[in-house]
Amino acid sequence: MPTFKLDGKEIPFEPGDTIIKAAWRQGIEIPHYCWHPGLSVAANCRMCLVEILPAANQRAMMLDILEWDAALNDYKPIKKPKLQPSCQYAATEGMEVNSDTSSHVVDARKAVQEFLLLNHPVDCPICDQSGECKLQDYWLDHGQYKKRMRDEPVHKPKAVVFGPTIVYDAERCVMCTRCVRFMDEVAQDPVLDMRERGNLNEISVAPGRQLDGHYTFMTEHVCPVGALTTKDFRFKARVWFLRTVPSVCQGCATGCNAHLDFDPRYNKAQRYRPRDNEAVNKFWMCDEGMLSYHRAHDGRITEPKVGGKTVLTTVALEEAKRVLGSVAKESIAIVLSAQHSLEDNWALQQLGSKLTGGAGVYMTSSITDGYEDTILINRDKNPNTNGVKQLAGDVKPFATLMEDIAAGRVTHVIALGGETPGGVKDLEVLGRVSSMIVVASHEGALTKMARVVLPAASWAETSGTYVNAKGMHQVADKALELEGSSKPGWQQLAALGAALGVDTPWKKLKEVRAQLPAEAKPAPSPGATPAVTANP
Amino acid sequence: MIRKTDFLTRTYDKPEGWTLPVYERLGGYQAVKKALGMTRDEVVNEAKKANVRGRGGAGFPMGVKWSFMKPHPTKPAYLAINADEGEPGTHKDRTIMEQNPHAVIEGCIIGCYGIGAHVASIYVRDELHLSKKRLWDAIKEARAKGYLGKRPFGKDYPVEVYVHTGAGAYICGEETSMLNSLEGKRGEPRLKPPFPAQAGAFGCPTTVNNLETIAIVPTVFGMGGEEFSKLSTLHGINDGGARLFGVNGHVKKPQIIELAVGVTMNELIYDIGGGVLGDKKILCAIPGGSSTPVLRPEEVVNVTDEKSPLFQWNGKSVFDVPLGVDTMRGVGTMLGTCCVTVLAEGTCPVLAMQNLMQFYHHESCGQCTPCREGSAWLDRTLQKILDGQASMADLDALGDIANNIMGNTICAFGEGTAMPALGFLRKFRKEFEQYVRGEKKGSEARLTVQ
Ligand SMILES: Cc1cc2nc3c(=O)[nH]c(=O)nc-3n(C[C@H](O)[C@H](O)[C@H](O)COP(=O)(O)O)c2cc1C
Ligand code: SF4
Ligand code: SF4
Ligand code: SF4
Ligand code: FES
Repeated sequence: MPTFKLDGKEIPFEPGDTIIKAAWRQGIEIPHYCWHPGLSVAANCRMCLVEILPAANQRAMMLDILEWDAALNDYKPIKKPKLQPSCQYAATEGMEVNSDTSSHVVDARKAVQEFLLLNHPVDCPICDQSGECKLQDYWLDHGQYKKRMRDEPVHKPKAVVFGPTIVYDAERCVMCTRCVRFMDEVAQDPVLDMRERGNLNEISVAPGRQLDGHYTFMTEHVCPVGALTTKDFRFKARVWFLRTVPSVCQGCATGCNAHLDFDPRYNKAQRYRPRDNEAVNKFWMCDEGMLSYHRAHDGRITEPKVGGKTVLTTVALEEAKRVLGSVAKESIAIVLSAQHSLEDNWALQQLGSKLTGGAGVYMTSSITDGYEDTILINRDKNPNTNGVKQLAGDVKPFATLMEDIAAGRVTHVIALGGETPGGVKDLEVLGRVSSMIVVASHEGALTKMARVVLPAASWAETSGTYVNAKGMHQVADKALELEGSSKPGWQQLAALGAALGVDTPWKKLKEVRAQLPAEAKPAPSPGATPAVTANP
Repeated sequence: MIRKTDFLTRTYDKPEGWTLPVYERLGGYQAVKKALGMTRDEVVNEAKKANVRGRGGAGFPMGVKWSFMKPHPTKPAYLAINADEGEPGTHKDRTIMEQNPHAVIEGCIIGCYGIGAHVASIYVRDELHLSKKRLWDAIKEARAKGYLGKRPFGKDYPVEVYVHTGAGAYICGEETSMLNSLEGKRGEPRLKPPFPAQAGAFGCPTTVNNLETIAIVPTVFGMGGEEFSKLSTLHGINDGGARLFGVNGHVKKPQIIELAVGVTMNELIYDIGGGVLGDKKILCAIPGGSSTPVLRPEEVVNVTDEKSPLFQWNGKSVFDVPLGVDTMRGVGTMLGTCCVTVLAEGTCPVLAMQNLMQFYHHESCGQCTPCREGSAWLDRTLQKILDGQASMADLDALGDIANNIMGNTICAFGEGTAMPALGFLRKFRKEFEQYVRGEKKGSEARLTVQ
């Protein structure tokens, strides 16, 4: 691989790489606002300027500037080298680039920082970006000057509603056009643009349009400052109180990698942020996915139930034993769930094969033929359809279960997950089952019609593996403490097995994972990107 | 040395001089026949010999620019003519469009042939109504004669010329911004590379030339490139021929005049412009549009290097140096558009600078940070200085702001702001200080001669 030198350090690069990109791949950040690894180059913020040393046979291009000489009491003409934007400048073999080590670069960064903050409202105390704002971070790293412009800053529109999800503050905007480029290049809906000129510039939505569609949240995410905020997160939390874990979006079979941000003080999930994964979602998530963190709290099953009434776990297990005690094996359906983790499904599969011999295994899921596009969104709205299929090759579809119930071939059901593809439409047929035992994190047709419900931890409360549409095994980590009496699904299933007199000896996640089929073992997330991209 | 020529201006004072018959009677549409009889390479070489330095401001040699055009396997090439003419103090292109539009058309045919294009678009600012009309009429006449169209002068080389109207933003004169505007996009400069010759209008190889640059092309081919170049006393430093010179501001006879290259600023101001209004002394002069740093008559050439082209003027006033692309660079400014703006003694350089910075503040496209914020900050600080509200620290900040714009922007607008700002500061620091100390009042500052 060819290399160049950045502050004396060898940096390998791929042909076509810009300086900033090659450095970024090595985990070295050159400060920037407008550059984003997933967007085209705009080179408008000028924060990423670097000094490129002239080749041996060349002279540096020098510019005439002035310096005030107090002793002389006059200006002194001096020269400075022409700097280049590292986001635009292609790396070449053997080139020598100075970034942090060039005093000219240090000066230029400070100047850009001063320019950007010149008319900035600095309403950090009420700004949602505060704490993860590039203006703040870079001021500390590269600014640290005293404010020179003491006059009233330029005022521009604030709290402009761009659409159903996004609010814009033109005063906070640094005009980096990341949002404009995102909508154009990734969402493929060029609905944002710049209007006016000079320091009256502002971002605007195309006349007659709103900023809407399936990818509006990403405009907020790419915004390096607090100019774009989501109605969902506005004024809800201060980011420094939040903790985060790597998670996997449960919204569809794409399995976008996400950071799940939560407030440990209230055990509350507050938002998703995309987690970069070149092989899955690159840098992005869709709006539906971004909002799906709400499911950490909404529609949850948190207490055991018998006949719809909350009971103690022991009572629920007793009831399960009572209703299943004398049922013929052939009449019991084992229903795996595309909504639950591989670990939970594995546990039910084990229990099923020991209880019924492994016949009659079905799969339930949420909607499987929803909206889809060619960007990220998969029509299958389940995170783990492929996981269930990998685990149980001969798993029968939910429609077959409905037929078998209608025909009286299935009279009893042990199911994972509450949701069914048809929702309320499935209630009538499910009502014909004599008794259902359901282990679920969320409500659905199955929990509604169940005789016994055991609360399972949601994806946010326990570590679990999900297999996406591409067959990749991805782990969502535990963020929240268990709600109510819920326990990881595989634990509940072990307890259910024990109550039914079946040998279900697993006690620890480690033990479960060790027994997952070889190809189902969690793989490290592919294409892991460098640490600095937490907020590129 | 003053040497009047009339290659472009010969139609200016003739009745109906802008029409095709008059243009042809005065020798028009002959050079194009010659050029179309040459090969493309010969055309480019002839253009190189003429040493036509781009008339749009940067002074890039026209022939060299044409030679950058390489045939593209799939894409057509374009000639884009810059008639945005927005630089304050510049008013030359307009006279050509209004009074000699056929020189432009003829230049377009030769230019297209030379660079391998079949279409030329002339980008004209919308408020120049007469210019647009005269160009449109000229295109119609030329088309009716078959000079434009499928077979100009019998040559199987189709050429069409279009006029594209721009809404009148200074930044749309920057060549890549102009191309964006031409494409119907927001007039914002593009990142370079790629340069227009690689990917210009609609992503196709494009040559952008100033309108005057193209209009002089028939003259070049009429008399031969080298002959043309030799008209100039600066022929030896590759600055050839004749061009339009402007003189405006506080002179008695402001005007546009065509002269061989080699005239000095003093000649332009006194011999052509009739001297300064009220017979005052010259305070300073801006050599070629507001982006070029001011010169003061007290400034003398100071070059010790004998090999320097400026050495022969060593010790002389910069006002006695011939106005040329490299001579002006040598004295720390730029030739720019070659239209000199004179400020008479008694007018205020601080107000002049504020006036210019107000313009740059207003016209910055706002794309890149240093120019967007810096131009406005310069303007605001200057206003404060004039209002008597500024401190010495504010005055000191001016230099920093300009230094920090310099070289750090996407397009040359940044330097076009910073260079004149630094020029005024360096040459008039005392006057600025007088305002800060309250010795002068903004309300009494003037830009008119009394
Ligand atoms: C801010 C800015 C404004 C400009 N305005 C004009 C203009 O109005 N007309 C023009 O011909 N060139 C203008 N230019 C120069 C053009 O970018 C370009 O160099 C020129 O049109 C090339 O033609 P030439 O080589 O024939 O001079 C401008 C440049 C800048 C940076
Ligand atoms: S955008 Fe950043 S600097 Fe501006 S108010 Fe918000 S947190 Fe503060
Ligand atoms: S809103 Fe944000 S992303 Fe968009 S231009 Fe402004 S600062 Fe950049
Ligand atoms: S230098 Fe000024 S005019 Fe040029 S791109 Fe930047 S903001 Fe626009
Ligand atoms: S990151 Fe390079 S100019 Fe903005």
